[in-house]
Amino acid sequence: MPRLFCLFVILAGACSQARAADSVNFNRDVRPILATKCFACHGPDEEQREAELRLDVRKSAITKEAFVPGKPGESELVRRILSDDADERMPPEGSDQLSDKEKTLLREWIAAGATYEQHWAFIPPQQPDLPTVTDADWPKNAIDHFVLARLEAEGMQPSPAADRYTLCRRVYLDLIGLPPTSEEADSFVNDKDPQAYEKLVDRLLKSQQYGERWARLWLDLARYSDTNGYEKDRPRSIWPYRDWVIRALNDDMPFDRFTIEQLAGDMLPDATTDQRIATGFHRNTMLNEEGGIDPLEYRFHAMVDRVATTGTVWMGLTTGCGQCHSHKYDPISQTDYYRLMALLNNADEPDLVVPDPAILEGRRKIEEQIAALEAALPNQFPPLKGEGTVEELRAAAVEHAFSKWIEQERKATVAWSVLRPHHMATNLPKLETLADGSIFSTGDITKRDVFTLRFKIEEPITAIRLETLPDDRLPARGPGRAFYEGRKGNFFLSELKGRIGDSPIKFADASHTFGKIAIGSGNANATNVLDGEGSTGWSTATREGESHRLVLNLAEPLPAPCELEIEMLFERHFAASLGLFRISATTASDAAKASQTPVDLQQLLTLSPDTWDEVQRQTLRQQFLRTVPELADARKEIDKLRKALPALPTTMVMLERPADNPRKTFRHHRGEFLSPREEVTPAVLETLPQLDGDQPADRLAFARWLVSEKNPLIGRVAVNRAWRAFFGSGLMRTSGDFGTQSDPSTHPVLLDWLACEFVARGWSMKKLHRLIVMSATYQQSSRITPELLQRDPENRLLARGPRYRIDAELVRDSMLKASGLLSAKIGGPSVYPPQPASVTALAYGNTKWDVSPGEDRYRRSLYTFSKRTAPFAAYSVFDGPTGENCVPRRDRSNTPLQALTLLNDEMYLEMAQAIAKLSADVNRDERASFIFRRLLTRPPSGAESKALATFQRAQQQRLGAAELDAELIGGNDAATPESASWVMVARAVMNLDEVITKQ
Amino acid sequence: MQIPFHTQTRRHFFRDCGVGVGKIALASLLARTATASDTPTAPKPTHFAAKAKRIIYLFMAGAPSQLELFDYKPKLTELEGRPIPPSVVKGQRYAFIQPDAAVLGPRFKFAKHGESGAELSEILPQLAKVVDEIAIVRSVHTDKFNHSPAQLFLNTGSGIPGRPSMGSWLSYGIGSDADDLPSFVVLKSGGSLSGGASMWGSGFLPSTHQGVPFRSQGDPILNVSNPRGYDERAQRDSLDLIRKLNEERLDVVGDPEITTRINAYEMAYRMQSRAPELMDFSSETAETLALYGATPGDGKHAFANNCLLARRLAERGVRFIQVYHSGWDHHSNVEGGVRGQCGQTDQACAALLQDLRQRGLLDDTLVVWGGEFGRTPMVEASAALGRTKGRDHHPQAYTMWFAGGGIRPGASLGATDELGFHVVDKPVHVHDVQATMLHCLGIDHERLTFRFNGLNFRLTGVEEHHPVQELLA
Repeated sequence: MPRLFCLFVILAGACSQARAADSVNFNRDVRPILATKCFACHGPDEEQREAELRLDVRKSAITKEAFVPGKPGESELVRRILSDDADERMPPEGSDQLSDKEKTLLREWIAAGATYEQHWAFIPPQQPDLPTVTDADWPKNAIDHFVLARLEAEGMQPSPAADRYTLCRRVYLDLIGLPPTSEEADSFVNDKDPQAYEKLVDRLLKSQQYGERWARLWLDLARYSDTNGYEKDRPRSIWPYRDWVIRALNDDMPFDRFTIEQLAGDMLPDATTDQRIATGFHRNTMLNEEGGIDPLEYRFHAMVDRVATTGTVWMGLTTGCGQCHSHKYDPISQTDYYRLMALLNNADEPDLVVPDPAILEGRRKIEEQIAALEAALPNQFPPLKGEGTVEELRAAAVEHAFSKWIEQERKATVAWSVLRPHHMATNLPKLETLADGSIFSTGDITKRDVFTLRFKIEEPITAIRLETLPDDRLPARGPGRAFYEGRKGNFFLSELKGRIGDSPIKFADASHTFGKIAIGSGNANATNVLDGEGSTGWSTATREGESHRLVLNLAEPLPAPCELEIEMLFERHFAASLGLFRISATTASDAAKASQTPVDLQQLLTLSPDTWDEVQRQTLRQQFLRTVPELADARKEIDKLRKALPALPTTMVMLERPADNPRKTFRHHRGEFLSPREEVTPAVLETLPQLDGDQPADRLAFARWLVSEKNPLIGRVAVNRAWRAFFGSGLMRTSGDFGTQSDPSTHPVLLDWLACEFVARGWSMKKLHRLIVMSATYQQSSRITPELLQRDPENRLLARGPRYRIDAELVRDSMLKASGLLSAKIGGPSVYPPQPASVTALAYGNTKWDVSPGEDRYRRSLYTFSKRTAPFAAYSVFDGPTGENCVPRRDRSNTPLQALTLLNDEMYLEMAQAIAKLSADVNRDERASFIFRRLLTRPPSGAESKALATFQRAQQQRLGAAELDAELIGGNDAATPESASWVMVARAVMNLDEVITKQ
Repeated sequence: MQIPFHTQTRRHFFRDCGVGVGKIALASLLARTATASDTPTAPKPTHFAAKAKRIIYLFMAGAPSQLELFDYKPKLTELEGRPIPPSVVKGQRYAFIQPDAAVLGPRFKFAKHGESGAELSEILPQLAKVVDEIAIVRSVHTDKFNHSPAQLFLNTGSGIPGRPSMGSWLSYGIGSDADDLPSFVVLKSGGSLSGGASMWGSGFLPSTHQGVPFRSQGDPILNVSNPRGYDERAQRDSLDLIRKLNEERLDVVGDPEITTRINAYEMAYRMQSRAPELMDFSSETAETLALYGATPGDGKHAFANNCLLARRLAERGVRFIQVYHSGWDHHSNVEGGVRGQCGQTDQACAALLQDLRQRGLLDDTLVVWGGEFGRTPMVEASAALGRTKGRDHHPQAYTMWFAGGGIRPGASLGATDELGFHVVDKPVHVHDVQATMLHCLGIDHERLTFRFNGLNFRLTGVEEHHPVQELLA
């Protein structure tokens, strides 16, 4: 009976919050009926809508004469739901019918005026007044007023304050994600200053480790990973984005700016490198590199992910339903969904080279060395034999060879003139002619791209030359546009055909400067482009970032004038068309051959040497020195230095497409990639205030809108997320969902107060966190009394402090810190801490996991290389994310596999050994306590000390009796039975529930 | 949210029952009666009487050629070298070939076997001997034409990684009879798997339900062995100390989660005790080893070893045993490739059925064999890739077989057109396959749901799908 009584009290409490009045309430009573019984045919979904009637919008319903407010007797809706005629009655036969009670409610609602209410979360929060509380001494700040008022209404009391060790450990774990050392804890516990806690909080908020802790939570939302996902799951470089998040959080970048830079940093005026790096947020989607996929299909899936993630992170709404159909309950139509997609869908997705100053400096030094060595090359030329000093003979030899080289080159060089197309067409990409006659390709590409170019030919040309050209805007500087599966920047030209009118032109032969294909055993001969076989072709794999030439001699000179059409086919099991190229022609009568000499020098060589100025002559001379066989040995050192040039890191970013080539967005029937329907224009959800009309509706406008007063959800979603990080669950439990179907908040007014306060305090996340940890609510003891367990086991009412298992990364980081091994290094490429080789052996291609040397072995866990298809085992076992989805809330499981990890994983055994070693200098009597406190902060109780001592003695005895191997357990040859026994003690303590619990 | 089962996990109960705060109070009543058996993977009642208690899923990753194994198409020999009419190919996208590629005839002879008269390729001589145990479906089709999405689709109902896998749905839905082994075990041999860890992930279900891959090197279950230097007693002593200290703490802070932790450590200990016995094949007779062609510890016999291990796992109450064998992706030389793969798998597959039958386990074990899609009637050849006489990916039609608990032995179902291109009789979608498998375990696929992000998710997606009645005993 008492149990039932308690149940009743809590239910009543829940109701008292929701039921403000006895009259019919739209959100509480009517919307659920309409939503479940009517909206499927008369709701937001235009595809399913019957009789053009929608009941989810009052004005539409009245216009269509569904009801007359205040007059149920004159309302068609009432007549229909009460009708006995099966043909007239609504809902129609076969659908879920209305109960009598529901019919009555609808009737009463119309009688009372049929007022609609916006769902509470769509109404902007207003700063509420603080509620009055009886126990005015307890609150430390405004939060406590709301919490206490609720508790007092329930007849409950807050818990006493947590003891200082517990509080110290709690706030360390929450703010910097690491426990305090014993010394750090003692200095707080013994600090008599009444401001001691506040001082501690401020110190932790300033710590660089704060950014690392909170970045990890944000990376869960960003679905950060170091690999591309899907089958091949190759590595990607996007860690500069992760480091940007850490920096932004440490700098307390206001959340509105934090948002805008991540969604649209590239579109800000004079965007900085940092602002461009920030756009990596939505580049964290997966990239399917499996051979043979349709790249546009997986780009579509990435867009679906981006819309869903944006909805979850900044709107607290599950927009995902809208992909396939209009939302059944929330006012999100399928068109709304694709309009949101259109806002985000107009970006290209390049890599950004990050100009790291240290690396740039390193490059500069090497380049200087190279320049010096090149300048000295003539000094190593073998001198002529004969009279004179060595220097003279050497100089003469150089000049002699140079003259000969020029003569030969001039003979082999023909004059090319650039052909500029007057017409260009493709299956999809956009081609444009640049000032130098080169042709640049942008927009989306496919596995089978066809470029058709038309030229007006004025002279009887005898050969055609295709130059492939590098460009900073292309993947790996091009010249190709391959961005997955093949090498980045690769291209594959399958066929090149020429036509005059309907007649194909014949080619005599083909040559190239270099040929190699990226995947497969086939050759890359120049003639492949003429063989009529799409699966063979020309490619310059491994030489990305360079220009190469393909020369095709015509069987006969073209009859000039004429219109020449050139068709280039790029057909491969991955998309690999050219990004930048140029077409030239010659009228030379000799058969032309692709020349290794750079094109601008070829041009010079066709002119008379008398016309060369000194600079031009020097350029030719340099080319000579770089290629002349006599200096091959001398150049080896230079080649070596070139290879040693340190590469700048890259990171994946967004880049808004040029205005003249926007990407179209369509509504996709049933969410299917292959079923695009009508084109949609970019816009925010129809039910919410719209974007400013005077600005283009694009990603930047959307980002700004998300953090404006027009988005009523933003503050609530952001503070709720922070709340969850401290208390284990949010004030809204379903944090991804503030929609009409979400559970009501336990503390709706507190949520609104915090949301307003957050914005009023300049969107400062640090101030918000400070506010929360300074509250009495946060500082309560987390002890769960039998009464509390019975009454509120999940601590929804906040009558105690939080107590729950810490996140996967904190488990490892805590123990790294306790063992003194933790590296303090911040940022940089991800690292590989030890784990069994069998973990990644299971992944595609039997992936190796080469453990990082040195301090990288002990870096904080957010730096661990995150492989989507084979996540780090010690994290996934503790519910660490895979990076496949946006995770607003992690599961917190409690499993035997976690026990096996902490008991037996070598990584943790190494830490146990390190902790035991640290304790070696401690007085024997205090050694157990020392180990205990490294891991648990607080001193052990008498019983705990005794149990540890007994265990240690027993194990030392067994070790001493050689029943156990001290060297193996101790982890080194010098281990004694005693030292090994302390390793066993440390290992046992590491396995206590409390070590992996925040309490 | 439908409530799929009479008994639910506590966590599940919190989320789905009642309204608002009231649910918590109810949950606390449950919490107090929680015992060690009230773990999330404890057995739970099914929707209706189950014919099978467990599944052994022989997943032939890479997609075996149905045209070389089960679906005999002499017409292809006749038309070899000629393209398939565009009216047949329609708009199908291919991974590697162009739609106008020429036809390639079957590389093997076919003959009828057993009482059922099922037509099988000569390259499956062992399966032919037990053909009356299996039911063959020649009309399976899927939505995906690339490996990773298609493997994920079969396992999770979605081509995008991150959804719960079938084994985790089962663990969540009906729990497991094993309290010293995971409810969902993954074994692997052959080449690489395309779908990655998501194929045994738990997605948005509680992570307790995720599959546990057995490793082919080191510990079969990660960290299941004691650390070097620790003997059985040292481990037990340590666990006793941990338990004692955890109990001390429970007295002080009163958090029931500590009880769960104590139980998890005890189950970990049971797994440690169980694993060596499980992996020790010395109790198997020479006849059994010979039946499978198993050689413990020899990687060349990995698939046969895994089939035998699957039977041992089945005996020990594991709910879902997934045996992947990769290496069926024959873009080139489909004849040689299929011959090699059948050499590694045919005997062990047949042996598994025989062995389960002998031990009386086949009646309540559902055995499933199949890949993620089929292979094209057209030839794949590519000079760049060095490929000849292969077959590309074909999602429109392929073959799977089923045997054991809940399945009508000897059944033959579905047909393709004379080119083996399209299904012309009794199409069976991948979601129907999933619905059928759940059905055999007593689960209505429409009622096994989980609410996440505002949607009720199920393994078989939102469209209408059904268990394949003709397959069911």
